[in-house]
Amino acid sequence: MEQYRYMVNRQRKWMFYLLALFVLGWGFLPYREIFSGLILGTSISFFNLWLLQVKVDRVGQAAEQYQSQEKKKKQTLGSVSRLAMAALAVLIALRYPQYFHLPFVVVGLMTSYIVMIIDFALHQKEKTTGKRGEKDGS
Amino acid sequence: MSLGALAAAIAVGLGALGAGIGNGLIVNGTVQGIARQPELRGTLQTTMFIGVALVEALPIIAVVIAFMVM
Repeated sequence: MEQYRYMVNRQRKWMFYLLALFVLGWGFLPYREIFSGLILGTSISFFNLWLLQVKVDRVGQAAEQYQSQEKKKKQTLGSVSRLAMAALAVLIALRYPQYFHLPFVVVGLMTSYIVMIIDFALHQKEKTTGKRGEKDGS
Repeated sequence: MSLGALAAAIAVGLGALGAGIGNGLIVNGTVQGIARQPELRGTLQTTMFIGVALVEALPIIAVVIAFMVM
């Protein structure tokens, strides 16, 4: 179980680093629209990431405690809310093109997936070295 | 109704259909695995998280493209 929590914290940390980088770029570089688009996209991507982490954890918890639960509560992954958040980002970028550069909003929306894939590639070995049935040592 | 709206509807609909099937398969496997071996929840949940996230990237791009063509 700690593996999942560590992964969540690592991803959160890297998203904060990237957001800080984009804010610095927005403040110090002349490309205002590009960096504000990146900030908008990355913020919404970060929210989507958090939502997905929480929902996946709840689904796992529900699957683990299914036998012992008195009232079986249904858990869903809630894809619609994430799609709606992406639509909101694009709508904001389309409504205010003077502040946000649309292609970079899309790049910002994909930031969390890039973070996720790189994090998985870097830390994949830690997860697969333990034998089945052994206690989590990571 | 313009053809742009139709294109947007087809893009989002087909993207969401594929993502629905993919998510269903992933969650099915993970829930079965956790029910069989609850001590492996962390590993299985991590794999499920990566899978669901990668599957959901496509409909998000579909939504973006749909709003751009509309």
